[in-house]
Amino acid sequence: MTDPELIQAVNEVFIDSFEIPPEKITPEAQIFGDLGLDSLDVVDLVAAIQKRFAVQVRDDERVRSIRTMQDLYNYLIMIRTEQKKA
Amino acid sequence: MTQVAQERSIPASLRFVWLNAWFWTIAPLVTIVYVIGAAAWVVLYLAVTRDRRKTQRVIRRSISHYGEIILKCPWPLVQVKYVDYAPDEAPPFVFVSNHRSSSDGFLMACLPFECVQVLNIWPTRIPVLGLIAKLAGYLSPREMPFEDYLQAGSKLLAQGCSIIAFPEGTRSGSRALGQFHGSTFRVAMHNHVKIVPLAISGNENIPKRGSAWLNPGRVVVSKLPAVLPDRFAEMTPFKVKTMVREMIRQHLEKQAA
Repeated sequence: MTDPELIQAVNEVFIDSFEIPPEKITPEAQIFGDLGLDSLDVVDLVAAIQKRFAVQVRDDERVRSIRTMQDLYNYLIMIRTEQKKA
Repeated sequence: MTQVAQERSIPASLRFVWLNAWFWTIAPLVTIVYVIGAAAWVVLYLAVTRDRRKTQRVIRRSISHYGEIILKCPWPLVQVKYVDYAPDEAPPFVFVSNHRSSSDGFLMACLPFECVQVLNIWPTRIPVLGLIAKLAGYLSPREMPFEDYLQAGSKLLAQGCSIIAFPEGTRSGSRALGQFHGSTFRVAMHNHVKIVPLAISGNENIPKRGSAWLNPGRVVVSKLPAVLPDRFAEMTPFKVKTMVREMIRQHLEKQAA
């Protein structure tokens, strides 16, 4: 999966799981402030991402520092790179 | 003399001074007298009935009466109008309201139902009033895990008691509507209970955020038609909170126009 494909897949998680209009999903969009997710929605988001990308991120401390969509893209690209190395 | 004529004949600064001098004299006196009277009544009631559920109902009714009295204190310079767009609907409800001012909690006295409010942490720490809120079974979800909140909310709804939440979490202090937190929506969805949007307008300066001073004005509390469980049965909690937020936003926008 290329970076643009991964970004597209992440956006689809937001569109499918939360019915967020695609035009609101921009790299600089704040997941809490702009997209309106709360702490409980993040639990649903983590579950959806784990399912979509077949990764385990629930216990990863780095998840806590994600604020924007760009942070999320970067994090998942990093996870993918780590998986490839392993 | 009509309200408009009064406003024209009395300078705004004088109305402001009169309102605050009157309100901040009468409201503390009312509070002291009412709290002492209500506390005596509740202790007596509990001693006679020994029924916790009935006693909590009495405390909630007392809080509601207190709110009604406080809302009357600044009249006629502050007037409150309650509009019910669906008066035939039966409780229990999960009320979801926008949050502009610290007066919102008192405005909930307009609702003619047995209710508990969902509070932020700081109101539960106000001396006496915080204790009364706890005795009434008011909920403080920020001080408990979500599972406990869900359980406590479910128990109240099963008893026929409605829940009032301000899902923005904090006062906006303006006409802006913040993002909603979904925990109370999840309680409603878990229990298949009607969600009733409440739109409060006109009180963003009564009092202004960070101030205790009231400004003259008219406040409208609108109880909008309920969102029925059948409508949100297949929806995600995120979608439900977004839909209800939009209903409140549209109503406030229509009112402002």
